Amino acid sequence: MRVSGRRLGVYAVALAFAIVMNFILPRLMPGTPVDAMVAQLGARATPAAVEAIKARFGEIDQPIMMQFVDYLKGLATLDLGVSVKYYPQTVVQVLSRATLWTVFLVVTALIFSLCVGVMLGAISAWRRGGRFDTVVSPLSVIMFSIPPVIIALTILFVFAVSLRWFPVGYAYDPDLDPGFNFIFAGSVFMHAILPVLTLSPFLIGEFQTTMRSSMIVVLGEDYVTMGRAKGLSNLAVMFSYGARNALLPVLTNLALMLGAVFGGSIVTEIVFNYPGLGLTLFTASVARDYPVIQGQLLLMTMATLGANFLVDIIYGLVDPRLREGAR
Amino acid sequence: MGLDKRVIRSVSARAGSAVATALTAVMAFGASAAWAAETVLTMHIEEQSSWVQNFNPFDLAGRRQSTMDFIYEPLVIFNANDGGKPVWRLATSYKFSDDLKSITYDLRPDVKWSDGQKLTSADVKYTIDLMLKNPAVDTVGVGQTVTSVEAPSPTQVKINLKAVNSEFPESLADLAVVPQHVWKDIADPVAFKNEKPVGSGPMTEVRRFTPQVYEQCRNPNYWDAASLHVDCLRLPQISGNDQMLALLPEGSVDWIGSFLPQIDKTFVALDPQHNGYWQPPAETVAFEMNFKSTNAGNLEAFKDLNFRHAFSLAMDRKSMVDIAGFGYPVVNLHASGLPPRFESWRNKAAEGDKDAFMGYDTDKANRILDDAGYKKGADGFRTTPSGKPIAFPIIVPNGWTDWIDAVQIAVEGLRSAGINASVATPEYEQWRKQLLDGSFEVVMNSRADSATPFQGYYQSLSTAYAGRLTVSAPRYSNPKLDAMFDQYLKSSSDDDHKKIFNDIQVLIADDFPVVPVFNGPTWYQFSSKRFTGWVTDKDPVMNPEDHDNNRMRLMHLLRLKPVQ
Repeated sequence: MRVSGRRLGVYAVALAFAIVMNFILPRLMPGTPVDAMVAQLGARATPAAVEAIKARFGEIDQPIMMQFVDYLKGLATLDLGVSVKYYPQTVVQVLSRATLWTVFLVVTALIFSLCVGVMLGAISAWRRGGRFDTVVSPLSVIMFSIPPVIIALTILFVFAVSLRWFPVGYAYDPDLDPGFNFIFAGSVFMHAILPVLTLSPFLIGEFQTTMRSSMIVVLGEDYVTMGRAKGLSNLAVMFSYGARNALLPVLTNLALMLGAVFGGSIVTEIVFNYPGLGLTLFTASVARDYPVIQGQLLLMTMATLGANFLVDIIYGLVDPRLREGAR
Repeated sequence: MGLDKRVIRSVSARAGSAVATALTAVMAFGASAAWAAETVLTMHIEEQSSWVQNFNPFDLAGRRQSTMDFIYEPLVIFNANDGGKPVWRLATSYKFSDDLKSITYDLRPDVKWSDGQKLTSADVKYTIDLMLKNPAVDTVGVGQTVTSVEAPSPTQVKINLKAVNSEFPESLADLAVVPQHVWKDIADPVAFKNEKPVGSGPMTEVRRFTPQVYEQCRNPNYWDAASLHVDCLRLPQISGNDQMLALLPEGSVDWIGSFLPQIDKTFVALDPQHNGYWQPPAETVAFEMNFKSTNAGNLEAFKDLNFRHAFSLAMDRKSMVDIAGFGYPVVNLHASGLPPRFESWRNKAAEGDKDAFMGYDTDKANRILDDAGYKKGADGFRTTPSGKPIAFPIIVPNGWTDWIDAVQIAVEGLRSAGINASVATPEYEQWRKQLLDGSFEVVMNSRADSATPFQGYYQSLSTAYAGRLTVSAPRYSNPKLDAMFDQYLKSSSDDDHKKIFNDIQVLIADDFPVVPVFNGPTWYQFSSKRFTGWVTDKDPVMNPEDHDNNRMRLMHLLRLKPVQ
């Protein structure tokens, strides 16, 4: 597969760039972690307390090149350092705790939106210009344009604070202990509904729009007419001949969307107090917790690159025309 | 095929109903399932996105803020609402030596650690020695004040001081005495997380700890168990004010320390019978001018008492409180800036006509400046009597929205008096840096908090501290005042302290080094649904806050009784 060889090169450059940026960006923020820690202490920052914190963490006064070398060494051994905010927990500990919840949230939202979006897109392309299409398609554009923060605040206020149908925060009822039982799973489910609903409209809108336009092109193809001529049922033509082939552009979109979903999940997690990567990144930024910010950005970059890579491979498998040298 | 489908359908139907049952169960029990027999007090102290099990009292930033007082009992607490009188806890008394160079604490003889071992003077000595050896755990600054510690008897600790300092016991108020038999085996007391603490306070047993909630329960060997009517503290993780507001309708939190906008509507109205609050004024917030400013025009103005008086007259304090502060702060109309909670220290001689410049009167401000020779230029702004321009930004940390609004109101007032002031909002870190390196011009700033008013004035206005702390930003230096501070530190009688502090108030009201504007609120809300005994404005015996900087929260906890 020569395709992966050249592609790998591109990915390696992207990764190297990400690693360097990841080192530089947090250092451009004003203030040191010691300052941030003193700021957090607020009224408790007595002169003695400030001295104690300085004695403990020191000012970061290593030359920048030495810091960079240490950073690379750490990366190689998957030692991302110790969190400042959650000291003495390591970055890996902090992130692994949060990653699980964000992956759960993002994957659930993606699958849910993919199913709904593709269905809506397929149906509205099939009945193009019909009543369904005239309602759903503009609605998708609207959904696509509403920022997650507005949806999050609105549904939090309506369904959690006012109606109290759903919990206002957490990933599961704090009084439960995690375990494989119905009560716990139910609690996780209930707590995930609103966050997933926050992340979904944007994705559904995106998938519906892409699916619809791609499906319209496919439906004009000769083999669709051929399928109808064979006397196949509408459903069979729509899904086996139409939707199946129209899915490819949606797949590309899925990989591109990943970054956007992570972005949306930051806002969502903050609003719903959901213990994922977004909330962690937010608190780490406020606390100037460089090691955690770095680890987190790296993780997200790698996840996005990895997803793109995966889609590249799947693409080749799904559509033989895209394989290099095939023509 | 048909059979398969039916099986699948019935299985999924059953699974569906099971999930439904589980969901109903979760929704029905939700918050109130666990406690029937024991009394659990739900508290909100700090905002975090996830709990980390860290009860190391020396880790100021990382420790859970229920560590002090509830796990590690103080030696003695000074109650600011009671004239700074001592509330004896692990200690029963202390006595200075005649030369004031050492102090001896008597310890309560019957105190045990939560693991059953006796708490003795060896533990106190061990703790202070640990701090002297290791500056990173010196959270009370004994490195600056103490030369050595002795333990003449199991219930006596003698601390030798570097200099005469009658305020030393107050600096030791934040000391957490740790058990020697546990800590002597800890290789690195800084990185130690102390997940299963052995403590001397009422709530030492960490029963449950998850990233979303933790519970701290009754110390089986608590010396003051007779006063303790709460079995467990429960602390749910809450990441911010918004989260708190969203949680309030559930009515599940008993003791809250949050900023709640429009509190009568957002909190009290939810359950008027039980929900209450008292947010008494705390430290004085003042506008401080930099007496070491490198800008010649500004410096000339700042050093002129007339200019400072005019500055004060341009302050619309009431709008700052009502508009910027949601009505929560209290206007401070004393030229001495004395906070209201130190009422018992008040010197009437420092008030009256000395407070003449504390109102809002831009006409009078303009008149004073005209008379003092501050002429208006073509741009409508005044210059100094010697003709130099005056122009300064007032700095306030980015994001401190209520303070920014207050500064904006101040700037409007100053501009209507012809003073070219503006607002600058650097990041907190930059703000702090400017205060410490002296590159700012004017700042709105709060004074240091303490149990007696002395410490706040001493740290803000003495030459010894000038520029060393954020609270001493103005770099004010007055030999007369320094002499009074010194005299205060060298006397140990309460009467002398009162007398000297009376003089300090008069001097400050006369020389008017900073412009006091208001006193910020404390944050305290409660629900009497499950517990009674809450401190209220009708019974203002102590600072009611549950935050980590208020030692009196221990006494507040011991007042609470479950509703039968």
